[in-house]
Amino acid sequence: MPIAAQRLFHDLAPPDARAELAPARALARPEDTLRPPLPAAAAAPVAASPAERLWQSLRERAPAQLMALASLLGIVLFWHLATTYKLDLYIRFTNIPTPTEVLAKIVEVNASPKFIKNVGMSLRRIFIGFAIATVLGVALGMLIGRYRLTRNLLFPAMEVFRPIPAIAWVPISIMLWPDNEVSIVFITFIGAFFPILLNTISGVQAVDDVLLRASQCLGARERQIMWYVVLPGAAPQIFTGLAVGMGVAWVSLIAAEMISGQFGIGYFTWEAYSLISYPEIVLGMITIGILGLMCSGLIRFVGKALMPWLAYGARAGSMR
Amino acid sequence: MSAAARKGHVQIKDVSVRFGSKGRMTEAASRVSLEVQPGEFVSIIGPSGCGKSTLLNIVAGFITPSEGEALLDGQPIGGPGADRGVVFQQYSLFPWMTVRKNVEFGLKMKGLGQNQREAAARSLLGMAGLLAFENHYPDQLSGGMKQRVGIVRALATSPQVMLMDEPFGALDSQTRTVMQEILTNMWQQLQLSVLFITHDIEEAIFLSEKVYVMTARPGRIKAEIPIPLPRPRTPEMTASPTFQALVRQLKALIREESLAAMGGELDNGGLQGIDHQFSHDGMKALI
Repeated sequence: MPIAAQRLFHDLAPPDARAELAPARALARPEDTLRPPLPAAAAAPVAASPAERLWQSLRERAPAQLMALASLLGIVLFWHLATTYKLDLYIRFTNIPTPTEVLAKIVEVNASPKFIKNVGMSLRRIFIGFAIATVLGVALGMLIGRYRLTRNLLFPAMEVFRPIPAIAWVPISIMLWPDNEVSIVFITFIGAFFPILLNTISGVQAVDDVLLRASQCLGARERQIMWYVVLPGAAPQIFTGLAVGMGVAWVSLIAAEMISGQFGIGYFTWEAYSLISYPEIVLGMITIGILGLMCSGLIRFVGKALMPWLAYGARAGSMR
Repeated sequence: MSAAARKGHVQIKDVSVRFGSKGRMTEAASRVSLEVQPGEFVSIIGPSGCGKSTLLNIVAGFITPSEGEALLDGQPIGGPGADRGVVFQQYSLFPWMTVRKNVEFGLKMKGLGQNQREAAARSLLGMAGLLAFENHYPDQLSGGMKQRVGIVRALATSPQVMLMDEPFGALDSQTRTVMQEILTNMWQQLQLSVLFITHDIEEAIFLSEKVYVMTARPGRIKAEIPIPLPRPRTPEMTASPTFQALVRQLKALIREESLAAMGGELDNGGLQGIDHQFSHDGMKALI
């Protein structure tokens, strides 16, 4: 710490200036008052007891939650009626299992190690494929986004492969990789990779130039700029890429499992169809939905934990 | 003056800057020479687009002059570095870092350990009256506070020169006045060299030892005006005859240039062009 800087703000002559420097008094200045951290917090009455506040928030949120519940119940009710009375209006509900049949299957299957193993296999494939896609997508995205050399070298190749859907890779993948397991992970990886890559590239390019210049003026070298400025600056968009990538990864995984799989929830669902075990098809679908929801919820959770500053910015709400 | 203040000697010698390629070449600055003595506070003032910021960017190391040379303590300026603190016109705090982490950044790049960095940042923030906000994110602060943190951050690495590019341009006039006082006191404490860009005449006079007036594009130095006001400067001085005479002198100089800058638009842009120019920058300079 340089002595000169230590003396920096010490003994400022005019009292006006000191008032502006003292946070307690500065708070009186409208210009210096803090913005409320979150609109919701500001809206809550200050004097309310916890119980009152809970009641308040319940009352505010109840209508929306009731409506959500109503629409879900509506779907189940329609499903129940359509399958019980075997509706046949162009779309046919004759072979569709009833909710009760599916529920019975859920109870039955929950105890079965085979089902658990299918779920476990799918999650493992997603995890490995998605992890590799994240590492490669973010790393390449940063290089392509920041350096012209890597952009000119790598981006055209990426653009050639990008329009090919992950499912179209299935036959080649089976030929390419020594065993089935690796080829399914590869398909999952392909699905997740491009959204992550493209969002990282555009996130890197959108990092405010003044922040890059500021970091240079503070003595940051290229590697430090990449790590401390470009990466966090691009982070919100990288997480957008991760969320999209996770969705595409599931689509790709299920398709790959249905076509070439052994084990996995996609395989389970397709096998149920082959074995004419209709309740299991619906069970498979519901399971896929829940797993996908959990995975994207996990990404949102991690994103919020890693990027606390977003709660205050102009972009607040983008991760909510 | 202390020994430390002997450093921070900025020289711009016969510098020209041209942008663009052959055929559509724009000259931003033409044969500009200026000097900031160690510990001197120097402002550059001129109509918008005259290349004031270009000169600052040369000293900061972001732009290499097409001709001429820029020196810091006799050495050619090669690129940006922590020996020159820069405060930008736009808020340039890292939004993902708390106030304290922002201030620590330069020290972290220097390789200081966490404890040292934290202690240094806390003492600086304490002196700037910002300690209560050390764990806030920039988006939680007002404009004036953000810019104060920006100044503290630039000072944390103890640069010999501060380069300030219209740092108070985005602030309301009340906050601006207070920030000017803070800056002038700070400058007296630290005896830093400061190169300050502004288009506000009063601001330039209030803060500086010397004001350079630039011409409309391509920017040239039109006049070098010494400011003989005593230190410490106080808001009351702005009413003094010396101050007012300086304001008149600078206004006259600037008016000529603003009119020259608008001349081209009068010919082909019509009234709308003038209006636009007026509202942006011309008004500030002409009033």
